[in-house]
Amino acid sequence: MARARIVVDGVWKKFRRGERHNSLRDLVPSLARRMVRTAWGGDLQQQEFWALKDVSFEVQPGEAIGIIGPNGAGKSTSLKLLSRILRPTKGRCDIRGRLGALIELSAGFHPDLTGRENVFLQGAIMGMRRTEVARKLDAIVEFSGIGPFLDTQVKRYSSGMQARLGFSVAAHLEPDAFLVDEVLSVGDMSFQSRCIERMQEQIRAGVSLVFVSHNLQAVASLCPRTLVFAGGGIAFAGPTAEALDAYLRVSQNAERWLEGAQPSFVIREATLTSADADLHALRPHAECLLTVVLECLRTEPCFNLSIQVERTIDLLYCYGSTTDELGCGRLSSRAGDLVHASFRLKAHFARGHYRMNLNARDPEAARFLMYTENIAAFAISETATYDGVVDIEPVVTVRIQTSAPGQARQDRSQPSGQ
Amino acid sequence: MSRLSADIREMLAEQWEYRELLWQISRRDVLLRYKQSLMGFGWAIFMPLASTIIFSVVLTRVARIDVSLPYPLFAYSGLAAWNFSASALRFSVTSLTVNTNLVTKVYLPREVFPFSAVMVALIDFAVSSLVLVVMMVYYGVWPTWTVVWLPAVVAVHVVFTLGLALPLAMGNLYFRDVKYLFEVAIQLWMFSTSVLYPIENIGGRAGAILRWNPMTPIIEAYRDVILFGRTPETVPFAAVALGALVLLAVSWVVFHRAEFTFAENV
Repeated sequence: MARARIVVDGVWKKFRRGERHNSLRDLVPSLARRMVRTAWGGDLQQQEFWALKDVSFEVQPGEAIGIIGPNGAGKSTSLKLLSRILRPTKGRCDIRGRLGALIELSAGFHPDLTGRENVFLQGAIMGMRRTEVARKLDAIVEFSGIGPFLDTQVKRYSSGMQARLGFSVAAHLEPDAFLVDEVLSVGDMSFQSRCIERMQEQIRAGVSLVFVSHNLQAVASLCPRTLVFAGGGIAFAGPTAEALDAYLRVSQNAERWLEGAQPSFVIREATLTSADADLHALRPHAECLLTVVLECLRTEPCFNLSIQVERTIDLLYCYGSTTDELGCGRLSSRAGDLVHASFRLKAHFARGHYRMNLNARDPEAARFLMYTENIAAFAISETATYDGVVDIEPVVTVRIQTSAPGQARQDRSQPSGQ
Repeated sequence: MSRLSADIREMLAEQWEYRELLWQISRRDVLLRYKQSLMGFGWAIFMPLASTIIFSVVLTRVARIDVSLPYPLFAYSGLAAWNFSASALRFSVTSLTVNTNLVTKVYLPREVFPFSAVMVALIDFAVSSLVLVVMMVYYGVWPTWTVVWLPAVVAVHVVFTLGLALPLAMGNLYFRDVKYLFEVAIQLWMFSTSVLYPIENIGGRAGAILRWNPMTPIIEAYRDVILFGRTPETVPFAAVALGALVLLAVSWVVFHRAEFTFAENV
């Protein structure tokens, strides 16, 4: 079995909140306190907290792993531990081979030096030899698109140019493992896609990638496997599509929709089925059946149910309707009743991952009686190449009429494969 | 013991892996030091020269001391060597705190920052030494064979300065008071060293204490091997050489062990 390139094994990291003693005046009292206490790394003292709690994962050569999660969940701390900027309080972090850390791309740049001088400096900071940088200089400049500004002081660069140059140096490091932390957000669209291509190339060449980002689209396109961090631990580890669901679960706070009120309904059952069997590989337009059973907790004289479909990756609102609008009229139920509802639907979606939300609302007062996100999820897998959200089932014919006189050519029609 | 040898192996492996970094960072600092200044390296000459002129006037016309050499030669040789240590340490003190961005965001052996401060000062020292050559020609003082000792004297001086640069840089990272204390201490230290006057003239208890000042044998060794044509005084110089090596070894290991907490404490 191949040895893991990156090993994080039971890592804990403790940080101190608030101000550190940065002058001698504060040191004396703090030393005195420390003398009294028995100081051992395992216990939390006042003002201390665990930024990471027992985190373990491995990355194999040629594997790309995404890390997503809300702010303060420990994503960047893990990368700093991996890149040896910080040391774990407990546990072990290892990287075998040369490490390329794209954490702060232009950290080593000095504003008063030219682009060229900074490329050599940044290269050295990343552990490259001077001859290596010189050999790759043309490729680096080419990739960054800095071209004519190479001998201009970096302080005259835009932040986008700085970031592009920084990424280009790092991208030519030829590391064994790459740590990338939310750095693609700077460059423009074409640069971002070049970066992603470059990383994909490197992954194919056997480089291990750890990719931290809030850009879920980028995570999904680079990483088959993703970790969801929450509160200093790994809340979920697995296939990226499922990780995105898990992320949305930890980051969404359903309570806010209810404005503090207790929900009137609770879901007892929610199942999505399809004749296509595998909900994670549906054909477009596949017929599905969503059945839900709700228990009524409080008598509601007037309510409706609404169903929404969102694209998982960016929560794009794709569809929404209510039982009212769908012709069931207004509903009423008494406490203890069970509400059975079924939605027969066709998944006219383009390829991607989708999830469903179910709400109960009081149409008169326009308030939520229940708000449940992600009661079911499905994925459309489609090999035809098209982008977007819906499948509009186009049938195409193309006819080319020649303008040259006397040459009545046969019209060529190309019906689509649908 | 095994931890010590593991640390030393790690320290050396890192220096090897990042062997060009020190050069690049030093180059950056040299480029930046005199960028946007008209005199450029002229400042490296001007500073000790100005002090030499001032102290020559004060100490030959006002106080009158006998140094068995033309006084400006005595003062300039002392000041150039002293300025190397003083400016190396002055830049080392803040070397980690001005590079916060690199210390907290990128991994690299943090020794390079104080080391590069010493390297840059060493370049200034080399430039300012040219003036000493000119002065020696002017006063007709010629070096003898003992000048072959010069590399050894420089080496001891550099090792000693490195050994102090590391703890100072680290100290200022934790406690910003170090920067201010340093300025006071370096002034006091200069006047306790044979920079402007030979301290053997100082008698009594103060003189006895000053004999332990490790900078005095270094500065006197420079004058011995270049100006007086004699070898350094064996016992004090050997003691300082040994002490400098031990100091550097200890402070490097301590620095290396602490550097993993720098990012959290800067």
